[in-house]
Amino acid sequence: MGTLGRAAYTVGFWIRETGQAMDRLGSRLQGNNYFKEQLSRHRSLMNVYDKAPTVDKDAFVAPSASIIGDVQVGAGSSIWYGCVLRGDVNSISIGSGTNIQDHSLVHVAKSNLPGKVLPTVIGDNVTVGHSAVLHGCTVEDEAFIGMKATLLDGVVVEKHGMVAAGALVRQGTRIPAGEVWGGNPAKFLRKLKDEEIAFISQSASNYASLAQVHAEENAKTLDKFEFLKVFQKKANVDPSVIQ
Amino acid sequence: MASLARLSRKALTSSLSSHRHLLSRALATEAAVKATKSSPPPAQSITECPDRVKWDYRGQRQIIPLGQWLPKIAVDAYVAPNVVLAGQVNVLDGSSVWNGAVLRGDLNKLTVGFCSNVQEKCVVHAAWSSPTGLPAETMIERFVTVGAYCLLRSCTIEPECIIGQNSILMEGSLVETQSILEAGSVLPPGRRIPTGELWAGNPAKFVRKLTHEETLEIPKLAVAINDLSKEYFNEFLPYSTVYLEVEKLVKSHGISI
Repeated sequence: MGTLGRAAYTVGFWIRETGQAMDRLGSRLQGNNYFKEQLSRHRSLMNVYDKAPTVDKDAFVAPSASIIGDVQVGAGSSIWYGCVLRGDVNSISIGSGTNIQDHSLVHVAKSNLPGKVLPTVIGDNVTVGHSAVLHGCTVEDEAFIGMKATLLDGVVVEKHGMVAAGALVRQGTRIPAGEVWGGNPAKFLRKLKDEEIAFISQSASNYASLAQVHAEENAKTLDKFEFLKVFQKKANVDPSVIQ
Repeated sequence: MASLARLSRKALTSSLSSHRHLLSRALATEAAVKATKSSPPPAQSITECPDRVKWDYRGQRQIIPLGQWLPKIAVDAYVAPNVVLAGQVNVLDGSSVWNGAVLRGDLNKLTVGFCSNVQEKCVVHAAWSSPTGLPAETMIERFVTVGAYCLLRSCTIEPECIIGQNSILMEGSLVETQSILEAGSVLPPGRRIPTGELWAGNPAKFVRKLTHEETLEIPKLAVAINDLSKEYFNEFLPYSTVYLEVEKLVKSHGISI
């Protein structure tokens, strides 16, 4: 880094300064559309005054998920992208090995049902599909909630119970063990076969291992991530880089 | 007066900054211990991670490579800033992915074809295997419109289709060319919608055949949304200047984030 290097550095600085000045000028010209970028204030774990979430160290919480208030998440559980777990008026507890997939919403019942304030309890090795809504309900171990299913206040899904995709389960319904319920409002469809019951716990364990990969990727620092991107671009062009 | 206050604050932060990390670390662990003690004992004990990130200035990353897979976005495709693309995702030319969508290609491949669009808050995922025995990848071909809040899992959508808002397409379902799925319908595993038909309901049922005029409207809608996405595309600069904000924050607080 001699005199030439210093000169290049200085010129680089001038160019950056000019760029910023141009940015300011452009923003000024845009007038009402002037937009200044702000840092995201999103918090994946957020407390509501004294109610703070408790998350196990082995659980995966996506950066875009929000866990708010009195929520407990057990070991090996995964909360995927865009999920909202809102335990503000009551508690939510999630067991171990459970997965709550993308864009799901878990909430608790307020006092809208007379005399009933219900927490949401989700057991171990439960699979909750994409975009499901669980509102003040109890889901026991190894149950399966299908994609976009809605469970309203006071619903109980017993062990190995299954809610089909797109189902709406009315208030206070009890889904017995080993049965599939579906439709709007949800009705009994059929009994589960033994291999289907085995599949539920299998899918939960698959998801737990998948979550670890995602957790690792999301925890990477920006430098490492950028390096990887460049490295892979090189590797795609020239496979000898990998060796 | 204000300058005096600022000076004193600066002095305080500079003198404290060396102890600050230790102090905050100790407080955090203390708080964690308190939290585990005061919470009602659940069925299994939860051991909290003391250094878990609760607030991250980067927020959610848009592109998440998994292993050797890196999501690919074509140069003229519009992908909204708060979309999550993970793993084997291929967003082809002229297509658009709108705010809040999640495209997760961790088990299988996802493709969004030429001039297609995946609208707000959609979830696109793929399973390991599909019940039909065909490849379980999710394929959205050209000139397809996927409405808001849709859920697509290991399905194939052939060219020139419309998937209505809030509908669910389950594993192995196939939507053939020039057909329309109405809003809020559920397509069960392995179901096929033949070409040129309108389906609706939960589970989806045949409603009627589409007229020739209607089938001509389908690609027009996709092109209209593509035009709209161009306006959104132009609102974004090639890279963001948010790092300047970060530098400012770091300087003013005397912390490292």
